[in-house]
This record gives sequence, C-alpha cells and structure tokens, in this order.
Amino acid sequence: MKKWQVEVVMLLAALGSWFVVGTRAQAKTYTIATDTTFAPFEFQAKGGTYKGIDIDILKAISKREHFTYQLKAISFGAAVQQLSADQVDGVIAGMNITPERKQTFDFSNPYYTSGVVMAVAKGSKIKSFSDLKGKTVALKTGTAAATYAKTLQSKYGFKIKYFNDSNNMYNDVKVGNSDACFEDYPVMSYGIKNGIALKIVSKQYAAGDYGFAVKKGKNAELLKKFNAGLKEIKADGTYKKIVDKYLHSSESSLTGETASSRTFVGLFTQNLGTIGSGLWMTLELTVISIILATILGLALGVLGVMPGKIGPAISSTIIYIFRGMPLMVLAFFIYIGFPDLIGHGFKIPAFVAGMITLMLNEGAYTGAFVKGGFAAVDDGQMEAARSLGLPYWKAMRKVIMPQGIRIMIPSFINQFIITLKDTSILSVIGIVELTQTGTLIIARNFEGFKIWLMIAIIYLIIITLLTWLSNWVQRRIN
Amino acid sequence: MAKVIVKDLHKSYADNEVLKGLNLEVQDNEVVCMIGPSGSGKSTFLRCLNDLEVPTEGQVVISGYDLSDKGTNINLVRENIGMVFQHFNLFPHLSVLQNITLAPTQLKKSSQEDAEKMARDLLATVGLSDKADAMPKSLSGGQKQRVAIARALAMHPKIMLFDEPTSALDPEMVGDVLDVMKKLAADGMTMIVVTHEMGFAKEVADRVVFMADGQIQESGKPDEIFNHPQSPRLQDFLDKVINV
Repeated sequence: MKKWQVEVVMLLAALGSWFVVGTRAQAKTYTIATDTTFAPFEFQAKGGTYKGIDIDILKAISKREHFTYQLKAISFGAAVQQLSADQVDGVIAGMNITPERKQTFDFSNPYYTSGVVMAVAKGSKIKSFSDLKGKTVALKTGTAAATYAKTLQSKYGFKIKYFNDSNNMYNDVKVGNSDACFEDYPVMSYGIKNGIALKIVSKQYAAGDYGFAVKKGKNAELLKKFNAGLKEIKADGTYKKIVDKYLHSSESSLTGETASSRTFVGLFTQNLGTIGSGLWMTLELTVISIILATILGLALGVLGVMPGKIGPAISSTIIYIFRGMPLMVLAFFIYIGFPDLIGHGFKIPAFVAGMITLMLNEGAYTGAFVKGGFAAVDDGQMEAARSLGLPYWKAMRKVIMPQGIRIMIPSFINQFIITLKDTSILSVIGIVELTQTGTLIIARNFEGFKIWLMIAIIYLIIITLLTWLSNWVQRRIN
Repeated sequence: MAKVIVKDLHKSYADNEVLKGLNLEVQDNEVVCMIGPSGSGKSTFLRCLNDLEVPTEGQVVISGYDLSDKGTNINLVRENIGMVFQHFNLFPHLSVLQNITLAPTQLKKSSQEDAEKMARDLLATVGLSDKADAMPKSLSGGQKQRVAIARALAMHPKIMLFDEPTSALDPEMVGDVLDVMKKLAADGMTMIVVTHEMGFAKEVADRVVFMADGQIQESGKPDEIFNHPQSPRLQDFLDKVINV
C-alpha cells in the first residue's frame, strides 16, 4: 500500500474505535443531560465546569446512593428530545412536572417549587399584563414560563417570539426587540442580581414543581435512587445549604471572577481555557470533516461523470438529498432521529454525529463541484487517453483527475472555509465548539458584545490562516 | 487477411443516420486517405474503428479482433491502433516526455527508463529533440501535433488513424506534420487518414476514398479519383476544393 492509503486506513480505524469506545463508555455510567444556561440551576463556571442547584443536588445524591454519571450540558430542548430518544438516561434541568410531560417521562419527587414571573427592560413602562397589547413577548421554548405566557396571549393580545436559551431571550428584551419575557422566578432574580438590566414586574404565577426525569418505563432504579437520595439530603440539611448558596450569594463568588476581569483582555485571559478547548473542538471537527467530505465528494464526483446511467443517478440523488437538507435538520436527524429509528438503546456520540453530518453535507457540495470540474475537462482528453489503450479508471486517474482537480482548487478552498464556519451549527446537538463556548461564557457573565467580538476575531484568524495555507498549496500545485 | 475489415457499418444519433452502410477493407502497409465534404461522416467512420463511437449496426474487425464481440478487450485492440486528433489532445498537465511515456509505462509495456529512451528517439524522429521537457502549452500547433504523433507511436501501433491532423494548424505548420506522416508511410505503416490535404492524398495514398452523405461514393487510386472522377458528386467536390 502507498503511504496515503495507509493513512486513510489508519484514520478510518481510529474513527471506528472511537465510535465503539464512545458507545461502551456511556453504557457503564448514567448519562444525565442538563441545560447550558439556566443559572442558578445550571451554568458554566470559570474553567468550563458546570455549577448550580441542579448540578450540586445531583452530585450530592449520587454520592449518597453510589452511582456514577456523566453530565451532558446541551440546550434544554435538545436535552428533552434526547431523553425521549433514549440518548440519555435522565434529565435534570429545572424541568417542570406537567401532565403532558408525564405521558413521555417518569418524574422524581419534586425537588424545587417555583413560579413564573414577567420581566421587562429597566426603563420600560410596562407594569402589568394589560400593557402588553400589541407588544412582543420573548419566551424560551419548552419551559413552563412559555406555556404559561401562551395561555395569556389571546386575552392580552401580544405577539410571541421564541428563543432556545435564556440569555438570548434576556438580551432581546434588553435591546428592545421584545418588550417583556417570562421566566422562572429564581432564574430571573438570580440573573438580575448578577447584572442583567431587566426588572421583575409581576408576582409569581403558575407555581410548578421541578423534577428529575427519566424516559417512561426506563431507568426505574435510577429514579428510585434519586428519590431516596433527595430524601436524605433534605433530612441532613445538605439540600438547604445548596439552595441557599446559590440563591443568596452573588455570581462572582461562585464563578471566581473579579471586576477587573470584565475588560476585553481580562475576559480573554479569564476564559482562555474554555475558549481554547472550544477552538480545539472546532479545529478537530473542521479538519476531520474536510478530509472525510473531500473523500466523499471525490467519490460522488467520479460517480457523477461515469459512463452509463446508474453512477450519475446515484451521485445526483445523494447530492440532491444532502445538499438540499439544512445542516441543522441533518444534524438533528443523525443525532436524534436515526438512533430513535434503530432503537435498542443505540447511541451515537455527538462528535461522531457531528462529523457524519458535516461529511454528508459538505461532501454533497464538494461532490457537485467535483463533478463539474471533471466534466469541464475537454472530452478529447478522455478520448486521447482511451485511444492509447488506457482503461477507463487509469485514464480517469492519470489524465482527467489531475486536470479536473486543478480547476476545482478555488472551490475546494471555498468549501474548506464554509466547513469551518458550519461547525458552529453543530452546537445545536450539544457539541461545545467555539460558538457554543461563546454562548456558555455569556450565559455566565452577560458580556455579549465583548465575547462575540472575541469569537468573531478568532474565526477570522483561523479563516485567514486557512486561506493562506490553501493559497500556498495552490501555488505549489500550479 | 486484411488489417481492417468494415462491413455494412451504420451509425445513428437518435433519428439522424450519419453512416449509412459502409464497406471497406484496408490491407497491411496500405495508406488510405478519406476525403469528402464536411459532415459526410468521415470522422465518425474513423472513430468507429477504435470504438470511440459505437456503431449502431455492422461489423468492424481490426487485425482479426471483432470490435462488436463482447469478449474483445477493447483496450488491447486500442494499443495496436494509434490515433491522432484534429485538436492534438495533448495532456496539458504533463510534459512532452511524460505525454509520450504515460501509456507505455502505465500499461507496463516498458520500464520508465526504456520508455524515456524510446520517447527521446521518437521526438528525434519528429524533429523535436529539444522539447522533451517543455509543457504542451509552450508549443506551436505543428509541434503539438508532432508530439501527438510520437505519443501514438510509443505504443508501437500496427495501424495509425489520423483525424484531420492538419486542419487546426496555421498553413506554415502543415508541412512539418505532413513530412512526419510521409516518413511513416514510407516506413510501411498502415494508415487511414481523414484529410483535406489533396496534395498529400495524391502523393502518399495508395487508395483514396471519397465519402459523401454517410456513404462511400467512390474509391480508387489517387490518379483515378483526382484525374478521372466518375460520379458528378466527386467532380463537384473536386471543383470546389481544387479550384479555389
């Protein structure tokens, strides 16, 4: 075998073993999903670890009941979806116990009771629900607050705008795009205490209970342990200590940040570790996906220009499907839909799902321009090669491909840059890459402008480097 | 047995019949020139001889191999048929030398060294010894076509097909290419040449075939064709091409 062939085989072997190990490791311990931005119940502290009432309660209970778990911080919506698709064993995310949810999930005994409040921007004149007529209300999908606000909509005549995490919802109200938001009281009051420029203008409504959830009929033992542990920590005072710690102290004492760390440079050095690991994840995803997508794209391209009808038909169909599907839909389909279809507790690690998503999507785009590139090589080239007695594949490899690929280089560079940027979409399936890192940091410190600026600059730097590298390769080839 | 046997050859593109039943035999060492107006099917006919076009009907037998037989390995047959195209079709990403050595080395006909030595000999024959390392884009049309001939010869073909080899050349380049072809003919190569060079046909051809409307209208020795044309179609054609 040639060197590059060996490399490809090794890469595939590595990916394969990763897949197996990833699945097996999760089978031994429970995987418990939580939200990413729901302080004080869960939020990311300095250095990337998660803290909050939910997290500490879970930790305390697991110690009492001797079980191990792996925490998976994703968006609330994704956590609930993954639980119903059997991708995780449990969810603890300030989740309200509702009759609808009980259809799909089994809940623990309530571990916290909270009500919904309405919050508006600091300078706002809105004082009650009746001021909402014709205004826009921001809600977070899947929350009890959203359900409650929806029941008010027809009576008070407001418009609704949905968000996937609390922080974006707050900001939308803060900058005035929306006029009010509905949120669980402890979450809202914690946020305000820690610098969100909003104010609470209602009392608590529709009080509900938070529960730990497992999929209906599954993990009964885990649920039993949770209930037993909860009873214990309530009895020995641990529970009260945890709740008090988060509800009655300021954020900085929990995250370890100081006032001086709120400058651009301060924020950067403070979050260097978190940003670094997010950046690393982005680069890893980008590089592996570029390699896989290029292989797939070349295969699709070659298939697309093959004589006969079958090859081109297969190629066009695959390109049609994966180019036509939004990347986010594809990611959800592979990560959540596909295991759901297979059943039997089949799981795909998020990273592998993300990689496959990018490979298929970017591979389809690559396939389309590779096909075009090969087709752009003059027909006479193939005829000349064949007339010398070269078989089709040899002619393809020695004559058509080298010329076609030269034509494609600018498209390849373009596609590499798109792939890099598209990795950010994978944050929806819980991959903590650079963009998601930004979301998480902001969820903690609410420094939207500075952090997004930072993230944007990092993307631009990598893209510049990637462009330089590509141009250098292009010069070498020509 | 004749080197090339064509029996009742038909070729259609959808409803358009381009070749309407051709019969031709070419003997060893024979040089056949095919003349006729544009669109008469000369090039299509030539391309049927090495299966670049698949006939709709009829039979083509090259050195005993029947091309329509599914058991025939077309790649092996093609190794014995060199083809030179109107637009040269040199491989632009390879040097002149690599253009010539690609097929012999890829098809394991000779080692890299042997192939290179042979390529240099062939370049000397076509008068381009100094261009071995040049890239095709730096060559003139005439030089390109001579490299293309050398490339075809590198496979030691038994038959050479020329598809209007000088039609895309500037007039002053035509002579060099024709000289190379004359040399080949003199060395006993079996050649089928589609051409508009009536002078070349007169001088070199053993037989001239006149095609029009997808059929062979007349064929014979150059003297018969050019000096004693029988059909009005050929007379008309010659009037047009010779008395310009």
